[in-house]
Amino acid sequence: MLEYRIKTLFKYKDLIIELVQRDLKLKYRRSFLGYVWSILNPLLTMTVLTIVFTEMLGKKIENYPVYLLTGRMMYDFLKVSTTNAMKSVTGNASLLRKVYVPKYIFTLAKVTSSMVDLIFSFGALLIVMIVTQARFYWHILLTPLVIVQIYIFCCGLGFFLAQLNVFFRDMQHIYGVILTAWLYLTPIMYQIEFLSSDLLRNFVKICNPLYYYVAQFRDLVYYGRMPGPRIFWGGWLIAFLMLALGVWSFQRSKDKFILYI
Amino acid sequence: MSEYAVEVENLKIRFNLASEKVDNLKEYTIKLMKRELLFQEFFALQDVNLKVKKGESWGLIGVNGSGKSTLLKTISGILKPFEGTVKTRGSIAPLIELGAGFDGNLTGRENIYLNGMVLGHSRAFMEEHFDEIVEFANLKKFLDSPIKNFSSGMKARLGFAVATVVNPDILVVDEVLEVGDLRFRRKCQERMRQMLAGGTTLLFVSHNIDTVKGLCDNAVWLDGGRVRMAGPAEEICELYREEQDRLTRQKKEEKRAKLRAAGKKYDYLIVGAGLYGAVCARELTKNGKRCLVIDKRSHIGGNVYTENVDGIQVHKYGAHIFHTSNKRVWNYVNKLAEFNNYINSPVAVYRDELYNLPFNMNTFSKLWGLRRPQEVKARIASQIADLGITEPKNLEEQALSLVGTDVYEKLIKGYTEKQWGRDCKDLPSFIIKRLPLRFTYDNNYFNDRYQGIPIGGYTQIVEKLLDNIDVMTDTDFFEYRKEHADMFDKVIYTGMIDEYFDFCYGHLEYRTVRFETERIEEENYQGNAVVNYTEREVPYTRIIEHKHFEPDAEKQDPKPYTIVSREYSAEWKPGIEPYYPVNDAKNSALYEKYRELAASEKNVIFGGRLGQYRYYDMDKVIEAALAAVEEELKFRL
Repeated sequence: MLEYRIKTLFKYKDLIIELVQRDLKLKYRRSFLGYVWSILNPLLTMTVLTIVFTEMLGKKIENYPVYLLTGRMMYDFLKVSTTNAMKSVTGNASLLRKVYVPKYIFTLAKVTSSMVDLIFSFGALLIVMIVTQARFYWHILLTPLVIVQIYIFCCGLGFFLAQLNVFFRDMQHIYGVILTAWLYLTPIMYQIEFLSSDLLRNFVKICNPLYYYVAQFRDLVYYGRMPGPRIFWGGWLIAFLMLALGVWSFQRSKDKFILYI
Repeated sequence: MSEYAVEVENLKIRFNLASEKVDNLKEYTIKLMKRELLFQEFFALQDVNLKVKKGESWGLIGVNGSGKSTLLKTISGILKPFEGTVKTRGSIAPLIELGAGFDGNLTGRENIYLNGMVLGHSRAFMEEHFDEIVEFANLKKFLDSPIKNFSSGMKARLGFAVATVVNPDILVVDEVLEVGDLRFRRKCQERMRQMLAGGTTLLFVSHNIDTVKGLCDNAVWLDGGRVRMAGPAEEICELYREEQDRLTRQKKEEKRAKLRAAGKKYDYLIVGAGLYGAVCARELTKNGKRCLVIDKRSHIGGNVYTENVDGIQVHKYGAHIFHTSNKRVWNYVNKLAEFNNYINSPVAVYRDELYNLPFNMNTFSKLWGLRRPQEVKARIASQIADLGITEPKNLEEQALSLVGTDVYEKLIKGYTEKQWGRDCKDLPSFIIKRLPLRFTYDNNYFNDRYQGIPIGGYTQIVEKLLDNIDVMTDTDFFEYRKEHADMFDKVIYTGMIDEYFDFCYGHLEYRTVRFETERIEEENYQGNAVVNYTEREVPYTRIIEHKHFEPDAEKQDPKPYTIVSREYSAEWKPGIEPYYPVNDAKNSALYEKYRELAASEKNVIFGGRLGQYRYYDMDKVIEAALAAVEEELKFRL
C-alpha cells in the first residue's frame, strides 16, 4: 500500500511541479515588477511595522527589523500556505469531478508554492540584515532544518483544513479568525518575555506550534545560537503529529469529497 | 490477466440529495441535533453489473439522470462505490469534459503540459508528444495566448488532443463530441475508431443514438440507476428509441387530452382523414395550429387505406402505386415510410392471349410478331389509314384513329366498355384524348422518376402524419357541425363539394368501382400484381393480387395463400362510394358553379379529389395539400 502511494506520488511529481509553476506564473503575470514583489512585499510590511513598533516599544528589542522579519517569515508562510491549501480541494472541484487525480496533489502543490515565496523572502531578510548591519552567524546555514519542519507541519495542517473545508465551507471564515489570534499569540512583534502572566507564557511556549519554529528560526538567524533541544525535537514531533493527523483525516474522507464539491 | 477490461459487480452509488446538502456548521449542528443527517439518501446506481471484454466498445444510453455519467465516473475512479466492486485493467483515459482542468489564465502551451500531467503523464512524455498534440488540435497559431480567449470548440479540440495522445487501454467518453464543429467531430470519431481498431476498450455515453450505433457494438440501457437492458447496440438502441418515442407520444397525448377536457377550441377542423387531410393536419400542427381530423369512415387513410389481412397488405380501395417526379414529395413520403422498388408493369389478358402494358414493343411483337419499331409504326399507320376516319364521332372512332384496329379490338374496346358500362360507340370521344404508344421494350407503366410502394402499406404513412393529432373516425361532418359549430375556426373540407352545398345545383357524377376480395389457398395466383381483362365477356376489369406489391415481404415470409381483388365497374348512384370524377362538359360546368359557391364560403378550404372534383394521383394530392397549407400560413414550408 505504501509502495503504491509512493509510486503514484512519483507518477504525479511532474504535476506538482507544474501546479507550483502555474501558481508562481499566475501570481505575478502582467505585473510590472513581477517576482521582485516577493521580496518587496515583506520588506514593505516590515518597514511599516518597524516604524510603528519602534515607536511603541522604544529600543527594548535590538535590531527590531531583523527580529520582526524572522518571525513574520514563519508566520506568513504558515498563513499563506494553509489558507491556500484549505481551498485546494474545493477550488479544483470542476477538475476533480471529471478526472481521477489523487486529491492531495493539489494540497501539496499549494503548500509547496507558498514555500517558494518563503525562499524569496530570504532575499528580503538578507537585504534587511545588510542594511541594518546585523551580524551574520554561520548558524543561518542550518535554517533549512527549520523550514523542513514547518513545511511538514503546514502540509499536515493543510490536509486537515482542506478536507474540513469540503464539508464545512465556513471553515474559511473561522480560520481567518484563528489566524489573527495565532499572530498575536506568537512572539512575532514582541518578545516572549513581554507576556507577564506565567500561565499565558507557558501556554504559548508549549502549546503554540508556531512558537517552536519561530524560536528555532530566530535562534539560528537573530541570536546566532543552536536552538534548545526542547524546541528542536518538539518542532519535529509536532510537525509529524500534525502530518499524521492531516493525512489520516484526509484519507478517511477523501472518497466522500466528490459528493460535496 | 483476465479477459475483462472492466468488471462492475453489484455496484451501488449513494448520493445525498443536493437540496439536503449540508456544508456549513450551523446547519450541520441543527441537523445533527434533529437527527436528520443522511436521511435524504438517493441511489444513483443500484445493482449494476457490467462486464466489458478487452477491445469491446460499449455505449451507455438512457435519459438524463439515469446514471450514465455516474457509472462512467465510477469506472474512471472519480467516484467510489458505496457497495459492490469496480475492477479495471489497464490505463484509463477519461474524456468526461474536454478541457476540464484548463486554467483560463495560462496559455495554450502551458495548459497542454498542465492537462497532460493531470492525466498522469510525465513532463518528458509531454515534451515528446507536444508537436503531435498541436498538430491534431490544429491550434499552432494560438499556442501562446491565454486559453480564456479560446472558443469552446478550440478548447474541446485541445482537450481531445491531449486526452488521446496515448492509446489508452480503456477510453471513457462522456458526451464530449457534441461540441465542436462537424469536421472536428468527424476527426474525433475517426481517432476513436483508430483506437478501437488498435484494441482499445471504449465506453461511450451519448444522447445521439446514431453515434452510439455507429461507434459501439454493444450497449447498456440505464433506467433510474438500474440496468434495463444490455446487449447488441443495434437492438438496444432501437428498443430505447421506441420507448422514448412512446413516452413522448404519451406525454403529448396527455397534453392533448387536457386541452380537450378543458374544451379549448381547434384552429382547424379537417374533414376527411385521407392523404390531403392528413398532410394538412401534419403541417398545420407542426406550425403551431391545433387541428381536429374527422372522418365518416371507421378508419383513417381515405382511399389509400391498406389493411393487413393474414400478413398481406390489402389495398382496400384499389391498387395504389406511388409515383412522382417531384423530388420534394418523394423525400416527404420517404421520411414517413420506407419505399420498395416496385415498378408497375401490368399485363392484359384477352381471351387466352397475354399482352404487356402499357402499349409498347413487347405488346406489339406479341400482337404481330414484329421486332423492329419501324415495322410496328408502319403497321399501325397502315391500319389507321385503311380506316380512313377523319372526324371521330365517338370513342370507338377516336381510339381507332389513334392506334388502329388490332390494339383497339383486343386491348381497349372491351375494357373501356366494361369501365363505362356501355358501348364504345355510345361513348363521347373526349374520354380518350391520346393513347400513348411506346416504341421501346419498356413495361414500366409510369414515366415518373420515382416509384414504389411503402413497405408495410399506406395506412402507416397516414398514421404517422396524424401522430399526436386529435382524430375522430365514424364522425360525419354535417352532424358534428350541428353540435359543435363553436369548436373550430376554420374547416378544411375534403368531402364531396356538392354534398357540402346540399346538392343545391344537383349531383355531380362519378365513375365508381367495386371490389370482390377473396383469399385463395394458392401461393401465387396470377404472377403479377395487376392483370387487366380486356374482353367484354369477363365481368371484372382487372384482378389485383396484393402480395405482389411487396415481393420482399413475401420472400421473407412465404405464404401458401394469396389475396386477390376482382375489380368491377359500377354504375354510380348518389349514396355509394364515389371514385373518379367524370370530367365531361356537363359535370365540369356543374362543378364550376359549386366552385364559385365555395369561393365565397368563408373559412372553408376545399381540397382533394372530392373537394375539388378532379382526379389526383397521390403525389399530386400531397403537392396540393402542401400548397394549400403554404397559402394558409402565408409562408413556404
